[in-house]
Amino acid sequence: MATTYSGVRELRPYTYNDLGGDSMRLAGNFEKKCLKSADRTFSQGLQCQQINSISCVLSMSDSAFIIHSPQGCSGCVSGGADGYRVGQAHRGVKLIKSPRVIVTNLDENDIIRGGEAKLREAIRIAGERYDPKMIFIFTSCASGIIGDDVDAIAADAQTPDGPILIPIHCDGFRSKICASGFDAAFIAIKKYLLPKEPRKKSSGLVNLFAPTSISYKDQLEIERLLALFGATVNYIPFYSSYEKIQMITAAEASTSICKVFADEFMKELEESYGIPFAHTVMPIGIRNTDKWLLGIAALLGKEAPAREYIEKEHKRVQPKLDEIKGRLEGKRVFICGGTGRSFAAAALIDDFGMQLVGLETPTYDFDAQIDIEYLNGIHKNYVVDVANMQPFEQVNLVNHLKPDVFIGVPAWSARLGLPTTHVLDPKRPTMGYDGIVYLGEKIAEQVENAGFNRKLAPYARLPYKKSWYEQDAFKYIRDL
Amino acid sequence: MSYIIENPRGTCVLGGVNNVLSAVTKVCPIYHSGPGCCMQTAAGESGQAGLRAPYYLSNVSMPSSNMLEREVVFGGEQKLRDEIDGALEIIDADAYFVLTGCTAGIIGDDIEAVTADYRNCGLPVYPITTPGFKGDSLLGYEIAFQAFTDFIVEIPNKREGNLVNLWGVIPYHDPYWAGALEEMTRILGKLGLRVNTFFTENQDIDVVRASGAAALNIIVSPYLLRKTAKNYEEKFGVPSLRFDGVPIGPTQTGEFVRGVAEALKLDDDLVNRVLWEESAYVYNYFETIIGAFSWKRFAVAADAGTAIGVTRFLADDFSLTPSAVVVTDQIWDESDKERITGRLTKLEYARPPKISFASDHYEIREELKKHDFSLLLGSSLEDEVARELDVQLQRVAYPISDVMVLNRSYAGFRGCLTLVEDLFSNL
Repeated sequence: MATTYSGVRELRPYTYNDLGGDSMRLAGNFEKKCLKSADRTFSQGLQCQQINSISCVLSMSDSAFIIHSPQGCSGCVSGGADGYRVGQAHRGVKLIKSPRVIVTNLDENDIIRGGEAKLREAIRIAGERYDPKMIFIFTSCASGIIGDDVDAIAADAQTPDGPILIPIHCDGFRSKICASGFDAAFIAIKKYLLPKEPRKKSSGLVNLFAPTSISYKDQLEIERLLALFGATVNYIPFYSSYEKIQMITAAEASTSICKVFADEFMKELEESYGIPFAHTVMPIGIRNTDKWLLGIAALLGKEAPAREYIEKEHKRVQPKLDEIKGRLEGKRVFICGGTGRSFAAAALIDDFGMQLVGLETPTYDFDAQIDIEYLNGIHKNYVVDVANMQPFEQVNLVNHLKPDVFIGVPAWSARLGLPTTHVLDPKRPTMGYDGIVYLGEKIAEQVENAGFNRKLAPYARLPYKKSWYEQDAFKYIRDL
Repeated sequence: MSYIIENPRGTCVLGGVNNVLSAVTKVCPIYHSGPGCCMQTAAGESGQAGLRAPYYLSNVSMPSSNMLEREVVFGGEQKLRDEIDGALEIIDADAYFVLTGCTAGIIGDDIEAVTADYRNCGLPVYPITTPGFKGDSLLGYEIAFQAFTDFIVEIPNKREGNLVNLWGVIPYHDPYWAGALEEMTRILGKLGLRVNTFFTENQDIDVVRASGAAALNIIVSPYLLRKTAKNYEEKFGVPSLRFDGVPIGPTQTGEFVRGVAEALKLDDDLVNRVLWEESAYVYNYFETIIGAFSWKRFAVAADAGTAIGVTRFLADDFSLTPSAVVVTDQIWDESDKERITGRLTKLEYARPPKISFASDHYEIREELKKHDFSLLLGSSLEDEVARELDVQLQRVAYPISDVMVLNRSYAGFRGCLTLVEDLFSNL
């Protein structure tokens, strides 16, 4: 499977992006394989896979980046660049660098005649200006539709001693699931960067795949946890480099801290280099942190010390958790997030005795089914909206379900006046046992003090007609 | 026409059009585009303009047909119709504009025909052809105004002598747009004028519709909206008055006020009184900080309008020394470059700085490194070179991604006080 994986997530079997309903019914229908492929006849914007491909590798310090597109496709670089810059600040770097991003700036003429000349020129400029070890080249909707053969151009422009040219095929229109862009990046890393002959095994080395939304504090916490079992971490690809990528093949094991990050790539590494991997959950909350830690410990043959450690940590944080639980128990929660964080948040709230009433998550697949079934066991029935955001459905559901708290991107639900909070914080600790305490305190504080949202709500200007709130939130989801 | 560019300062026409639409109250943009265009344009424009997001529809809340392979192959017009139907049903808006991304532009979906069907039924749905490959967001700003003149603005029944249109500041792109428009509106208000900005004070599509009745268009940009100015003159009989940028400080704002007063033949006594009051307001503050501020040699890297504003203010009103100015917007017309250079070098007191034009981030950095200065007025992108050269950086121009900007600005009389506050450094 992995060797032929196209990088387009929805082409994997039993993967759904447009779906809504009660969790028990969805899980039952998925089990019976009778969910239908659907589409939204009305929808709001999405994140395209190119955004994920770029953010995935943008912090590679010895690289330059070429976006083969019109100027607008560099918009989201601002976010990735901010992450890279803040990341350097947190790591104590004084002379903070920006990522070197060059846009070929395809115009009408190029759309008609092809963008090859500009791409060659951009490759030359990137090499001359920065003498990078690697140049990542991102395709776009425009370059894809006009049919520029980026692989052939890169192969032809590749010189023996020059920067390694790495095309990443991430045309936005090819996938509705932005996480496909992560896969596209890893497919390119495998194809262009990994050595045919693996590096000599490095004892205790673990590949830790993490997207850029992971804070430095979280990185340190995860590295500390793995060090307890004598493991050292090859942290990829955030703050990575050519050399660290080569070392991927020297690792004894791989793991990821996001469900949709490097999952296919880790399968590849197992098949090509015999590196076993643990693909479990995002280590947020007690259950997930335990599960994540045991997953990687098992690979390293350290299950016994891991269990011992987990028990000790439970004892350490339990009094804190009990106190937080006293503040949050019984609160009804609506969660909206990316695949990793939405399920992580859903597991986390169980630590505090909160009740799930609604869950928005981008994709329903085999992986999601495992989580949904686990959550069904705790919360009985709740509403599932398989959507990457789609705020119009969200405000409809939140308005209807009237949860006590909303966890996720707050931009819309905050304006309904309820407390909002989030488990995503690329700049502060959220993972491991201390992360649980940090998040618990944050959630409790934000739930108790919703003054900002409550006072804002009467003045808020959400764009929807009143009649929309009376209708079925899923009315625009139609079977294909 | 376009060239390869490192770290472009702006997105595409789609982003520029959307900046305008998302700042007019109760207007709904509908993206007929690939799935990521809404996020790319939002992150690249408002996301780097002081961190405010348009409140009504922005980023992933914008209706978007999210064209995939199926639409690329079979066409996306039916998907667009469904999308418009849904938007009309649930989004509470006075006007709906269909915008095209590269995908729809290349495959050639006919949004003019699709939207005409709705207008024929009396529904306010309008097309704006905006594939990203047409150009940058500055061009998008122009195209949005073009669409307003084509579809919205009505031929006036009568002229409103005290009504003016104030344009040239790009909302959700210029980080200080709201504060700048508010300060200029305040000053014009003191002259007895009512001001259409389209973007402040919850102005809506009706304000746009009635803007043909204005007595004057005031455009505070060295080159934006030439075509719109011509259209307003020819279609609606509204003349335009252009300033080189948003005025900063007593000298430029004085010129601004006198220029408007002359064009509208305002009462001299009123104008003189307002100018004296406003200038005194500034100088009464300046008087309290004499000697507190060290002399500095400064460089500027900003769009032409901002560069002219801050250079003239700091050099002529505040007596700092200009060293170099890099104009960063993509300017194609040589005569524009000459005029901008002229404006930046003909200073009242200060010796002229060295002027250059560069939009490519590498070229901007390398140019700055050639000059000697201790204060740099630029954007968040200049943070790196400021650290490298060990000089003070003040963010005055797009893109600003690491400072929050709400209603503050450096515009007009009051804004120059804010700029001076921000420039003070005890180091």
